[in-house]
Amino acid sequence: MTPPVDAREPTWPRTPGEGGPWRAIDVYRVFTLGYAIVLFVPDRDAFHHPLGAWAVIGVMAGWTVWLAVHRARPTWLLWLDLAVSAACVLATALVDDPDRVARGAATLPSMWAAASVASLAVGRGWRAGLAAGLLMSLADVVEVWPDVSSRSLDSIVQLVLIGAIAGYTADLYEVGRQRLARATAVEAAARERERLAADIHDSVLQVLAYAQRRGAELGGEAAEIGMLAGQQEVRLRALVSARDPGPAGETDLSGLLSALGGPLVSVAVPADAVPLPAAVAAGVLAAVRSALDNVARHAGPGARAWVLLEDEGDMVTITVRDDGAGMAAGRLEAAALEGRLGVAAGIRGRIADAGGTVGVTSAPGQGVELELRVPRRGTR
Amino acid sequence: MSETGAETGAETGAEAGAVVGAGAVVRVMIVDDHPLWRDAVARDLAEAGLNVVATAGDGSEALRRIPAVRPEVVVLDLQMPQLDGVATTRRIVAEFPGTRVLVLTASAERADVLEAVKAGATGYLVKSASREELLDAVVRTARGEAVFTPGLAGLVLGEFRRMAGSSSSGGASGEPESPRLTERETEILRLVAKGLTSRQIADRLVISYRTVQNHTQNVLNKLQLHNRVELARYAIEQGIDTPPPPPPP
Repeated sequence: MTPPVDAREPTWPRTPGEGGPWRAIDVYRVFTLGYAIVLFVPDRDAFHHPLGAWAVIGVMAGWTVWLAVHRARPTWLLWLDLAVSAACVLATALVDDPDRVARGAATLPSMWAAASVASLAVGRGWRAGLAAGLLMSLADVVEVWPDVSSRSLDSIVQLVLIGAIAGYTADLYEVGRQRLARATAVEAAARERERLAADIHDSVLQVLAYAQRRGAELGGEAAEIGMLAGQQEVRLRALVSARDPGPAGETDLSGLLSALGGPLVSVAVPADAVPLPAAVAAGVLAAVRSALDNVARHAGPGARAWVLLEDEGDMVTITVRDDGAGMAAGRLEAAALEGRLGVAAGIRGRIADAGGTVGVTSAPGQGVELELRVPRRGTR
Repeated sequence: MSETGAETGAETGAEAGAVVGAGAVVRVMIVDDHPLWRDAVARDLAEAGLNVVATAGDGSEALRRIPAVRPEVVVLDLQMPQLDGVATTRRIVAEFPGTRVLVLTASAERADVLEAVKAGATGYLVKSASREELLDAVVRTARGEAVFTPGLAGLVLGEFRRMAGSSSSGGASGEPESPRLTERETEILRLVAKGLTSRQIADRLVISYRTVQNHTQNVLNKLQLHNRVELARYAIEQGIDTPPPPPPP
């Protein structure tokens, strides 16, 4: 079943450059371009090659516009962005006055260069962001070499932090987005199942239950057909009312046991799920099945059976009782030898595998009662 | 599916089968959105000599008709359009003290069944129950007995265990003590869940049938009282505890 995509999906895709942090980076780029121009214009005559400096500013402006228009952000473009920014930083050394550079004048792009670091961080995660920050720092160092000042060190720390933090935040966001998408899909599936269940309840279940009821009244073959309808009703009912599986590897035992109900078998369970490790639940189910088979085989035709599931927290108890003739207490061992409880060996084995115990009691005229007790280890 | 048919179809059918009996005939109302079922149940009960005073296709229709027909027992399906079974039960119990609710449902929504019982229903039967079981349940409900099927006993046992578990682990002071079952009550509920009749339970525990009935009735009272206390507390906490409007003159 493919759940429909929820319309409330967050709009923050990582690569197609739409919305969210991408838009923020574009805005940042425009503003820092303005800042770079504001820094440059008053000092333009101090530059060694003012025309060259104008050319660098022109490249930055052109690149900013191009990126604002072209929204796609494939990986190669992110690295190209970094290369362009680094080149603008390095070009400063060529066009500016070496004395000004040595005195720690800002590079031509100044803060504009950090946009490419942030882009890589958002697009490719924290490792790429960190690498981009380091590479850009390298360009900064090369630009001022050999006059590395505390100011260059400041900008190195800032660039590396921008890369790592922006990347880490984007990673966190991506994980959250994926979880939300998964949760939404699960919720949609559950809603769909509820809708199906309501539908089936309104139609098929009613007719099956009705067929069983009328069949029983008419008797004969109709009763047999009615009985079959009743069995199917219980199965279908258990199927559509199956609840969420809960934590991975666990199964709701009450759901499994409910499916065993039928005209001759009543199943009583708590309203809440009774989660057990899947293997344990399967073992218990098999044990209860053979107990019921046993009833059908030995307790006489038309014998009824009752299954009771109780969740005591650290222990789960399942009782299977039939209304066959029952036995006097002393006869129990003899009966076991005769094979009346032959299947009980299999039941004992399965429950012992789950670390549990099996008790057998019988009252004359009130059938045989099997009590399966299974400990719940470590869960809850 | 049956939303449109339910309203109109409900008016016909069963009323013709109403038996004007002598005194003790139980007055019953059937509420089910499925016409097939409604008519079958109404016919069965009428044939058995009960007085089927009305049928309804959903909860709001039932509530409209109860004042006129004054049933002793409402046989109620849980999953219905308009007003669902749990809400209907709550309102019937609150507004018509002389009317008892017997839940008859094909639904395996155990949580719904439990909610309906907590809201005041005194019995629960699955639709696959035989005609005799249904008749017996209706008569016993009319007598004021709790109709504990094994399935309901399992649900109630589980609910008391859940409440005991959450109150001991939560341990918040100021919370009203959640109700507990006595050992005897637990014993009796377990026997009910294992399919013993009240008579068999009385024999096995060497007590009277009446005592068994009293115990099961007590269990239900505890659950319903606790539920009312919880609802009231919730209403006060949410600030929606406004007094009910005065009845129209």
